[in-house]
Amino acid sequence: MARHASLAIISNSLATSKQVLELKNRDATTSVVDANLFKTSLLTQFAGLLLHLPQEVIATSIIILQRFLVSSASIATEIDLLTTSQLIPEASLVSASAASVYLSAKQSFYPLSPRSIINVYALLTSPEASLLSFINSNATGIIHSSEPPNSRNYHVSEGAYETHRQALFDAESRILASLAFDTKVVLPHTLALTYMQALSASTVPLAERVLAHLNAALLSPQLLYLTHQPNALAVAAIYLAAREQEVALVDDEVAWWEVFDVGREGLGFLVLSMGSLNGFVEAEKVSWTGN
Amino acid sequence: MATKPTPRGYPLEHTRDGKPRFRGCVKVAEYDYICKLGEGTFGEVSKARSKKTGQVVALKKILVHNEKDGFPITALREIKLLKALRHPNVLQLVEMAVERPKDVTKKSNMFMVTPYMDHDLSGMLKNPRIQFTEPQIKCYMKQLLEGCKYLHESKILHRDMKAANLLISNKGILQIADFGLARPYDDAPPQPGKGGGEATRSYTTLVVTRWYRPPELLLQLRNYTTAVDMWGVGCVFGEMFKRRPILQGDSDLAQAQLIFTLCGSPNDQSMPGWNTLPGCEEVTDWGDRRPTIRQTFKELSPTGLSLLEALLKLDWRTRINAIDALQHPYFHTHPLPARPEDLPVMEDSHEFDKQKQREERKPPPAPAGGQVGIGPQNEYGFQDRSRPYDRQSGRGGGRPPYANGQRRPPPHGQNGDYPDHRGPRPPRNNDSYDHAYRQPRHYDDPAYDRDRRPPPQYYDEPYSRRPPPDTSLPPRPPAPEVDPPYRDRDDRPPPRRIPPGAETGRPPADRQPAPIVDTYIPAYSSADPHARPPRNVLRSAIQGQPGDPTTRRAPLPPRDDAGRPISRGDYPPRRGSGEYDDVLSYDDQVNGDPYPRRGPSSVGSYERRRTRSRSPQRERIPDREREREYYGPGPRR
Repeated sequence: MARHASLAIISNSLATSKQVLELKNRDATTSVVDANLFKTSLLTQFAGLLLHLPQEVIATSIIILQRFLVSSASIATEIDLLTTSQLIPEASLVSASAASVYLSAKQSFYPLSPRSIINVYALLTSPEASLLSFINSNATGIIHSSEPPNSRNYHVSEGAYETHRQALFDAESRILASLAFDTKVVLPHTLALTYMQALSASTVPLAERVLAHLNAALLSPQLLYLTHQPNALAVAAIYLAAREQEVALVDDEVAWWEVFDVGREGLGFLVLSMGSLNGFVEAEKVSWTGN
Repeated sequence: MATKPTPRGYPLEHTRDGKPRFRGCVKVAEYDYICKLGEGTFGEVSKARSKKTGQVVALKKILVHNEKDGFPITALREIKLLKALRHPNVLQLVEMAVERPKDVTKKSNMFMVTPYMDHDLSGMLKNPRIQFTEPQIKCYMKQLLEGCKYLHESKILHRDMKAANLLISNKGILQIADFGLARPYDDAPPQPGKGGGEATRSYTTLVVTRWYRPPELLLQLRNYTTAVDMWGVGCVFGEMFKRRPILQGDSDLAQAQLIFTLCGSPNDQSMPGWNTLPGCEEVTDWGDRRPTIRQTFKELSPTGLSLLEALLKLDWRTRINAIDALQHPYFHTHPLPARPEDLPVMEDSHEFDKQKQREERKPPPAPAGGQVGIGPQNEYGFQDRSRPYDRQSGRGGGRPPYANGQRRPPPHGQNGDYPDHRGPRPPRNNDSYDHAYRQPRHYDDPAYDRDRRPPPQYYDEPYSRRPPPDTSLPPRPPAPEVDPPYRDRDDRPPPRRIPPGAETGRPPADRQPAPIVDTYIPAYSSADPHARPPRNVLRSAIQGQPGDPTTRRAPLPPRDDAGRPISRGDYPPRRGSGEYDDVLSYDDQVNGDPYPRRGPSSVGSYERRRTRSRSPQRERIPDREREREYYGPGPRR
């Protein structure tokens, strides 16, 4: 690693395709696994937002969580929970999500107390008060609600807090052990902005769209951040955003992505995955509400 | 099965040995327990052998002291850094191992697995029977500088450079250990010929064990550079000749005094910008002393002295960096550095431990850090360990892993003769090594493989069950309200200090005629209890006795392992009893605070300056603060 010290700054450890396959094959219908992956990632994203964490930390949490799920695929136990088809993710998945937020916040500028995290997860997993529509069917999904939900529904008593905290720390230890302490995560966001400047296409609307794609890709059940390097993710997001906004990046004939060390094939796959995410989410939403 | 590199390099899905990246930690059961190496507030270090590879390793258990914060952040940082580093002269983190208790309600234990190293430099220097030859010193220095160069070009500040953190194997390989205080360095790495360069970022000054702390840190420079580590290298270099830490200050102020006695008072030539720094404990006037380093280290060759001066340069901007130090003539003139494999296999030190430990002053602990825990010598407890019992020769002897002043006779013979698995024992006569240095051979070859000698046959099994150490401490006096400037972190009895005259080889710096007398009695103590002395008063008091500014605060009491003060009666008198303790004794502090400057308004600043303990039991500096430091002043809500 050290020999490629400069490269290590922009590259991630990846999961093997075998690991991803094992994860997906836990259930006959991969859709259940996919749905659970999506829900858990979404839960993590929401928790991060409620905890006022910057997207950088949230993204790290989600990636750590996904790494954990993938690496424990061969160990079973947790992963079987991914195959249970129910709306609210299993308790230990919630703990894993909370622990991944805790762990990445701890290593960032923005450490959080276990109490804050447990409170937020209590809110998010409360069927009455949650902001997540797969948990609370009345949820609007809007965080800045002028009418705060009734706190009775998500109050964490001192006793419950102790239990949750223990679960949080246990999950933290499990995550660290599963990852063999490899918590280093490199994000593609800054790379993407640099690439856009290099392409002389650095405009605010385009940048917003690129970042939106990158953040959405975090939720993809295809675990794009575990199978692709940051440079590939950045290039794919730029490509897709430029296509959507009909921004001409460079001459059509030029395979500009190769400058950033991304092959045509890899780019194609990523663009397809990122592009299809919208459809997947719409389908999921339908399955939550049942109509 | 090894992973084949693709044209684009190694695939990142696999490690070099073809395993998936995210495969989880190995179980600690993959290792055969051999013996315990050390124990302290930091937890437990054991020696073990890998069942798979046969490699002998040290297993450091990570204690989760603070139930409130989950897995210790300091350990996370150390692991993260170590994972990113790979160099022959940096202790490598082999892997992390996990122990899952059968009882599922219990926490799993995590272990850091590092190669087993036979000695640490501090322990070797304390053993009078180990004599260093100049080629040997050059060899160690060269390796130390190679390690530093690598760390610094990887943009890592070690921040706890000291002899106890330098581990040495019986193959002569030196490795830098203990990254508990290390952090990424945000500025450009040092360039050849440009010293440490300039830093734009601020870091905490509460780093580096005091005796190895550079002057700019003592004067509270916040945007320090990689040069802080180079000062420590210089201290270690001097220590290898003097066989004891060369600058042993009892307090930060005394430390600064010792430095300026050795290197001369700071002035615009020797330390540009010195007078813009906050100063040490509010003292900013350091008199007008001439450097004494040349007299102090007259035994050094001219090139050696030149290197030492370059490393112990007050000006952190021009202090030599590791790249340039490696080019220094010292390493390229006769006698040339020995090759590590030509160094003698060290004998064990068990004859001397007990005695030495009583005599030796304990180093002050490194400041911050955390629950990862660092022992008094080093966290791996490799100090002074004997060579294991050698079955073939039937000789050798075990020694319990240092630390307590408590020792049992080794189970096997301990006649001081030691087996050498690599051939006949090298003669003790220093000259006889000369053949090794005549040719300019270098150790650059890749044969840095680990020690794989035959397994020690549980030679000191009894020690794992040895009785708890007898700390022999007197009854505790009531704890004073003040915080100690440092506390000791092991169970050894307090050191007996020897008056300077009675000690041989003491650096003359310490024997300078002018005793550090504090003739300034704070007159403000009877006035407003919250008033600080005006600076100019202090200065005028200092002027007139150049070379000897002052400690206004009495040295604070030493502490034992639990942070309780060791009673004064049993703590040895300070060296040179005419020293400042007559003016302000710490007892005053117990009875009443004679230091009104530490009024309520100044508590905060004092808190910040206090040396932080690594012990979890004591009041901890909240991790938050450390985090903020580590990652910089984040815009925390």
